[in-house]
Amino acid sequence: MMGTLDYIWMGVLAVFQGPELFSLFGLPVSATLLMILAGFLVGIAVGATPGLAGPIAMAIALPILISVFGYTPDALLPVMGFLIGVMKGATIGGAVPAILFNTPGTPDAFMTTLDGYPMTKRGKAQKALRVAHFSSASGDTFSDIVLFVCAPFLAIMVEAYLDLPEKTALLILSLSFIAAVIGGSAAKGLISTGLGLLAAYVGTGEDFYPRLSLDSPMLAQGFPITTAVLGVLIIGAVLKELEDLWRTKQARGTIAPHRDTGDQRLHWADIRRLLPVIGRSALIGTCIGALPGIGSTLAATLGYSVGRSHYARTKRPDAPEFGKGAAEGIAATEAANSSVSGANLIPVLSLGIPGNAAAVFLILAAESIGGFNPGPSVFRFTADAVNPELVIAFGLFTAMMIANVLNWTIGGLFMRSMGIMIHIPKHILLPCVLLLTLTAIYVQETRMEVIWFALGFGVLGYLMRVVAISPLPFVIAFILGGKLEETTRQAFAATGSDPWFLINRPVAAAFILLSVLVILYSARKPKAKS
Amino acid sequence: MMIRAPKSNLILGLVMVIFAAILLSLWIPLDTQTGLVEKIRRQVVIGDALAPTVAALFLLIGGGLLVVVDRTADGQPKPSLRGLGFTASLIAVICISLVVMRHAGPLSVWLINTLHGDTLEYRLLRDSAPWKYIGYLLGGTLMISGMIALVEGRIRIRAVLVALLAVLIMIALYDLPFKDLLLPPNGDV
Repeated sequence: MMGTLDYIWMGVLAVFQGPELFSLFGLPVSATLLMILAGFLVGIAVGATPGLAGPIAMAIALPILISVFGYTPDALLPVMGFLIGVMKGATIGGAVPAILFNTPGTPDAFMTTLDGYPMTKRGKAQKALRVAHFSSASGDTFSDIVLFVCAPFLAIMVEAYLDLPEKTALLILSLSFIAAVIGGSAAKGLISTGLGLLAAYVGTGEDFYPRLSLDSPMLAQGFPITTAVLGVLIIGAVLKELEDLWRTKQARGTIAPHRDTGDQRLHWADIRRLLPVIGRSALIGTCIGALPGIGSTLAATLGYSVGRSHYARTKRPDAPEFGKGAAEGIAATEAANSSVSGANLIPVLSLGIPGNAAAVFLILAAESIGGFNPGPSVFRFTADAVNPELVIAFGLFTAMMIANVLNWTIGGLFMRSMGIMIHIPKHILLPCVLLLTLTAIYVQETRMEVIWFALGFGVLGYLMRVVAISPLPFVIAFILGGKLEETTRQAFAATGSDPWFLINRPVAAAFILLSVLVILYSARKPKAKS
Repeated sequence: MMIRAPKSNLILGLVMVIFAAILLSLWIPLDTQTGLVEKIRRQVVIGDALAPTVAALFLLIGGGLLVVVDRTADGQPKPSLRGLGFTASLIAVICISLVVMRHAGPLSVWLINTLHGDTLEYRLLRDSAPWKYIGYLLGGTLMISGMIALVEGRIRIRAVLVALLAVLIMIALYDLPFKDLLLPPNGDV
């Protein structure tokens, strides 16, 4: 008979006794453990390199990893362990260029520049990096603990209380949240979501005729998920970054070397002062991460805003203002964006709804390898037979914890040594990233037309950035589009073709009402640019 | 030449509204075989047109909100035609490189056949060196060096060497260790 503890133990063992890479002094070394470490180091390196981010490393690595480990269930934990390592490493690595050079690698790290760079200019770069590392690792730990404790219970509640109409309504609510809170405005979020849904529905459907295919055999098969996701997220970003580089080339100055002065250590007094800020931001980030479809950029913005209003009331007269080099500003942002990563796996695993780009790649890996379908069935605690998906889920939690230990032990040291990455010229690096991404797409699909599709989606991603439309709602809508249609069809059939199935059940109606309110509220209220 | 900032949301909104209208009135009805709902064996089921219609409604509402509410919003983007032109030239370089990547291998086999009277076929050689690398090496080098040259505003031998090195590293990364990975364009020629 299987109990909860048995599942947890099997998950832990799956990581430590999984596929053996080699043996050291007669002891087998688990591939998953090494992949987590490798992913973590790669993550910090790409996070610390301006113009790169975790998703780029994940995109390039995914086909290689799948080729190494194959399409078997044994491949899931090493591949996902690597992705989790990258996700965690890139989150803390992203603070490096933000603090040292005022160039945030990702939108999540934008708020870190506001106080980090002024500290660097005051000769406190090492201290700022220590604050960022401590806050990031603390927020991450808090989030992982919440994931471990809450994910199974939340998933069971989802299974118990949400039937097909409620799940349909929840997917609509997730899309509304994404449209409303990610990006510049609700209107642009809706457009991004609409385009993502439209792309998902080309060439698919239940009829023999491939819909919206314009009679083209190329479109009749639909767009492969990697093509759309990597095209919009990465190729679009590369094109926009290159254009920005070209535009600022004339006015580009040289980076003056900074010199640290005074005490750079993080004292207990500093930690005691920062802990309440970190605690608040970790809570905000965890709550945001646990909500389906909402990512780390919003968490960073909210964490910073809450931290600023609290700091204004409690700050010492001689302490710097928020935005002018306050360590609390770095702590508020880094704790919030790092604490999203753990909690974000709750909706990913229990509902299959990602909240940020890193989670999107975990779903891509699961789809590519097979044998693991994110959804309520993952957390089915079957007593008579082993549920392998649940073992994988606890294996993933273990991987999160191992990455967390790495974060505390070698993360800070490695992060501070990565400042050197800033010296790689972006205009050389980005074309290489573009070819690497196109190659990664090709080796997975082996059709030239997918490269052309990816380029097309890249142009779309570029144009979206030009007109300030966030590409993330597009990507998430593309991933959820098929699921939304399938759940709607099932709910419609299960309710005896009731056209009002979304509003005549209280929970579903509440979700739909909330979706409308979220959109209306966001459309009415101008929001700070994320 | 710059598009005036206060108008960019309005233009984008109108484009989206028109696109959504075309979707709803032409593309979806003409390019899906089943309607919003269908009756199959006396049971009403959802048709293939419903989901794209919802997507079009997202575009319509989003575009409408941009026109009505966000038309005068602060901080609207300012796309520059020069910037767009630069990116168009980047895309042109990528497209030319992809065409070279696709055809360089078969073309080199054709050249060898013409010069030496051989009867080689690229399809049979596409998984053997050096043939399998020709397209990727030439197309990839052209892509990277061309993009670097565009940003730098001049062609330098250093850029070509960097590109060549980068492509060789990518070949080493994707092709040498794995028997089952095929570099472009070798999967479909």
